[in-house]
Amino acid sequence: MSDAAVIASPGVRSPLREFWRRLRRRKVALGSAGVLLLLVLSAVFAPWVAPYDPTAADYLNILSPPSAAHWAGTDAFGRDILSRIIWGGRISLAVGFLSVSIGGVVGIALGLIAGFYGRWLDSLIMRSSDVMLAFPGILLAIGVIAILGPGIDNVIYAVAVFSVPVFARLVRGSTLALKNAPYVDAARAIGVKNRWLMLRHILPGTLPSVIVYFSMRVGTSILTAAALSFIGLGAQPPSPEWGAMLADGRSFIGVASHVTFYPGMAIFVTVLAFNLLGDGLRDALDPKLKNV
Amino acid sequence: MRHMTLALAATALATALSFGGAEAKTLVVGVADNLTTLDPANANDTLSGGAARTMLQGLYGFDSKMQLEPLLATSYETNAEATEFTFHLRKGVKFHDGTDFNAEAVKINIDRVRDTKVPTKRQSLVSMVDRVEVIDDYTVKVVTKEPFGAMVNNLAHAGLFMISPAAIAKYGKDIDRNPVGTGPFMFKKWSGDLFETVKNPNYWREGYPKVDGVTFKSVPENGSRIAMLQAGEAGFVYPLPSELAPVVSANQKLEVVKVPSIIIRYVAMNTMKKPFDDPRVREALNYAVDKNAFCKVVYGGFCKPAEGPVPELLKYSGVVQKGGWPYDPAKAKALLKEAGYPNGFETEMFAKNNSTYIRAMQFLQQQFAQVGVKLTVTPLEAGVEAQRIWSVAEPKDATVQTQYGGWSASTGDIDWALRPLFYGKGFPPKLFNVAYYKSEATDSGIEAGIATGDSAKRQSEYDAVQKQIWKDAPWIFLTVDDFLVGQAKGLTGAFAAPDGGLNFEKAEFK
Repeated sequence: MSDAAVIASPGVRSPLREFWRRLRRRKVALGSAGVLLLLVLSAVFAPWVAPYDPTAADYLNILSPPSAAHWAGTDAFGRDILSRIIWGGRISLAVGFLSVSIGGVVGIALGLIAGFYGRWLDSLIMRSSDVMLAFPGILLAIGVIAILGPGIDNVIYAVAVFSVPVFARLVRGSTLALKNAPYVDAARAIGVKNRWLMLRHILPGTLPSVIVYFSMRVGTSILTAAALSFIGLGAQPPSPEWGAMLADGRSFIGVASHVTFYPGMAIFVTVLAFNLLGDGLRDALDPKLKNV
Repeated sequence: MRHMTLALAATALATALSFGGAEAKTLVVGVADNLTTLDPANANDTLSGGAARTMLQGLYGFDSKMQLEPLLATSYETNAEATEFTFHLRKGVKFHDGTDFNAEAVKINIDRVRDTKVPTKRQSLVSMVDRVEVIDDYTVKVVTKEPFGAMVNNLAHAGLFMISPAAIAKYGKDIDRNPVGTGPFMFKKWSGDLFETVKNPNYWREGYPKVDGVTFKSVPENGSRIAMLQAGEAGFVYPLPSELAPVVSANQKLEVVKVPSIIIRYVAMNTMKKPFDDPRVREALNYAVDKNAFCKVVYGGFCKPAEGPVPELLKYSGVVQKGGWPYDPAKAKALLKEAGYPNGFETEMFAKNNSTYIRAMQFLQQQFAQVGVKLTVTPLEAGVEAQRIWSVAEPKDATVQTQYGGWSASTGDIDWALRPLFYGKGFPPKLFNVAYYKSEATDSGIEAGIATGDSAKRQSEYDAVQKQIWKDAPWIFLTVDDFLVGQAKGLTGAFAAPDGGLNFEKAEFK
């Protein structure tokens, strides 16, 4: 019965329904998911949602505090901060999802190969991962930017690079456990090819841990991308990327704190939401925590 | 023993605190950087020159409007060719070590700075000097190799402050840590971020100095420097970033002093490269930028539109166009169309990577976009900037299309505001003509202007040069900065000159 949640078999609830049944009870995670959905929707529909053009300057109205016309005030160029945050959400969310997706796909592939074939391939991939894990993530990203040059595209690659080893290690672990599972042995016995075995029978089993890690990693990536933009390596002016907005506004923190407060809040809320969602997903997906 | 140390410390603290109050007698100055040396002949930075100015003085100095003011000389004469300058020296002045100040001392000092065997960083100020003649004890004549009309200005620069000949002989190279001059304050101590002086009781100017000493504290962080002022720890803070000015103004005990400067802000356009080889394009971009808005957005309103290629406070400068180059985007578009760019074009701008410069470039990007010009902004770290702009050996290899920058002519003479930036023989790496601008009329005017000591003649040459440059528009002429100083209310006589040079000779708490 306990394994039945992972592999669907007749007579029990499907894994998806089981997952939903558990997630439903985690209100914080659901709330976070709601917040994120709102963020994604506002980013997707930015041209309709944002009250102003994010690059339109109004020199008669610079650094004005929040008001009815500008809910989050205006920045040093008189641009509407709320509109910039909404448009910036496109960049930050895209960077977060894209970088982790790229890192995830590469990492999963490497982890599967390492775990499934073992021996020297395993050693090679895992030792390389260890080397990369030895660097703090942001340092590795700065190194990648130093090679590729500043720019938001390169931030995506940089963050992807330091996501790879963690995914690889995660998937390798699950693969090692699953490859000797009876159903895999059975599949092999009836002559299923290696590639099919990996993709159809092992990969789905690794997904719960990957999904949890993915959601948390998106938060971290958004934070890293913002940090890189803040120090001038990421998004270039006049991009409304959140980290770049913080950097733009920091000299005004004494006289117009709203210029840094709102972009800072946007980063904070988004990253927190991804982490809380990740926590909730872990609880919902972990088969050991059944029926709690 | 320990108790005694503690008691001493407590006394010192109490003294220090009482100095912070209204009856303060020592003026504490908060500055942004550490001093590099106390030998102004070897200082590259204006700040170190300002610190030296508390103790040392030149034949002439600059007042708060950057006008020449007699200090150790009382007057001078020059011949018509501007090759001989005779100075009459102030009598009865003694250096802090008791040595007499006289013509011999002047000769020793000028010869020290122009000595090619032991080069000083400020040698270029007197490199045109052929010889210094002692006429009598209080008369000295400086003879130049070629006509040089700006000689007195050069001698008024911090690099030519007079140091006691006895001290030069005694300390040699270590004079940078043992300055002995004729100034209102005497050297006490310099270590790291702290520099202290005490009152010179025998100062030649009757009734001065009015404070017991001047202390410099280097505090790089803007916020901390302002906090010192707010806490009464410092009486004078320079520079005050424009975005923090409202914080200081809001405090009843403090005031913000605005100093019109000789720092001009501009965008140099590479006149050898398309599309900037067409004067219509350069004019168009001048019309495309709203200078008043630039001031407001980039410098918090503390600057004003440039009314000529040279800041107004420099001698021989003139207003070419009242109110600056007009803002007229419609005309800009028309000019671009006429030049064959009806849909604008794409270009790139280089500048230093500090936050003010980046803000300036972003502003220009927005303004250019209004007339269809798409600007890519490239902030450069100082080393990269030097490599990409200032070390390019051949004009054809230059990659710079436009550059945003600023210039301060610290000799207070117009020659140093024109020659480095607009002279046809001054392309990088020699000088700083990054617009690669070359005009026969301008070049001959710059040459003729320096070749005479006759004020009227210099004026007419420089008037023509400035009009010519404005007409050729190798730059987008933006603004002239105002500096901001934060100080305690009741402090008078302390000022930052338009080039950023600090002066505390007549400082007084009222």
